[in-house]
Amino acid sequence: MPFVAATRSLGAAGLFALSVLRASKPTRDFFAELTREIYKIGARSLPIVAAGGAFVGLSVTLLGYRALETYGATGQVSALLGLGLYRELGPVLTALLFVGRAGSSIAAELGLMRATDQITALGLMAIDPVAKTVAPRFWAAVICVPLLTGFFISMAIAAGYFEAVHVIGIDSGTFWQTMKDSVDFRDDFLVAFIKAAIFGAVSALVAAYVGFHAEPTIEGTSVATTRAVVNASLLVLMFNFVLSALLFRS
Amino acid sequence: MRGPRLEFAVGAFLLLALASLLVLAIASTNNKWGFGGDSYPLKARFSTIGQLRVAAPVKIGGVVVGQVSDIGLDPQKFDSIVTLAIDSRYKDLPADTSAGIFTSGLLGESYIGLTPGGDVETLKAGDEIALTQSAVDLMQLVGKYMFAGGGDKTAPASASTSATPTEEIP
Repeated sequence: MPFVAATRSLGAAGLFALSVLRASKPTRDFFAELTREIYKIGARSLPIVAAGGAFVGLSVTLLGYRALETYGATGQVSALLGLGLYRELGPVLTALLFVGRAGSSIAAELGLMRATDQITALGLMAIDPVAKTVAPRFWAAVICVPLLTGFFISMAIAAGYFEAVHVIGIDSGTFWQTMKDSVDFRDDFLVAFIKAAIFGAVSALVAAYVGFHAEPTIEGTSVATTRAVVNASLLVLMFNFVLSALLFRS
Repeated sequence: MRGPRLEFAVGAFLLLALASLLVLAIASTNNKWGFGGDSYPLKARFSTIGQLRVAAPVKIGGVVVGQVSDIGLDPQKFDSIVTLAIDSRYKDLPADTSAGIFTSGLLGESYIGLTPGGDVETLKAGDEIALTQSAVDLMQLVGKYMFAGGGDKTAPASASTSATPTEEIP
């Protein structure tokens, strides 16, 4: 009965998400853990996100220039760059990079904790293992992914500016003004960061769930890491479509 | 890495991230922070609105002064009623202001252009603009131009060239 099993695992994941929310209490210990996690999964992800953003900005500018050249509208390339980055590419690619870099480490850490019985030990000492290990990682992801998205987009726009103005030869004033005219503060800018926060929550929850419930063996840890990356990436892409359909009306 | 150094690293990361968000918001968006903003409504009736859509800009002399907030159809007269949200800074528009639907460029977006008149009376919030000019459908114009002269040989297309050669051909 694959359908029943799938529904049950979905329900288990939902209950796990609820328990994470219930376990998030603003104690001193929580903030100490949160700070450490923001450093580990946020600040340390900065280089890869910045480099990724720069290359995406370069290639989108080249692609947009090639496509718009047909209509003699190369001045519009920054509108394409800005809208594309804010609406889809920025949040999605940042979340995918985040899943690869931080989601895998969350799953591996929790899986190893499970394999070495640390999670059971926490429970024996009457410390809620979800509150101690999962909640800080979850909130760190919710905070960090929007901030990393901001980095990604600014690096992409900077790289796109370099490509468009200094390599292709589009006027600098046209570049900025076209972008400003097409990117709306509410409909594009804010929505990008709402999306990013949701992607952060989804990827951290999936990674933590998979790691937390890993088989307590060496192999179980590796399976959990793979599963975290695959499932979280897929869920991010699916959520992206749903959010785009809901949030962008025009 | 623990304690003060860790906290410093996290603080630096958060500051840097928030600064980049601020720069992005200022440099790359249209800076419409306001939620709602100060504006007042005006109405205008058009027989056809063409490609005009909600949130299209309203311009006076090319400068954006507001946007289209609603488009509806009069259930009796079957005119479209366009509601404009005009920025409150421009609240002294003359009562004989006229409105027209124009297109920026050949394929560009539609917008509403207002042309202020010279009346000393001003339009109040909710008033209707009496003088309107509906959208010009480019494809319909082209169609008329092409098929209008289909019956006789003196088609409008040949009128644009000088008259003498057309008379010499038959």
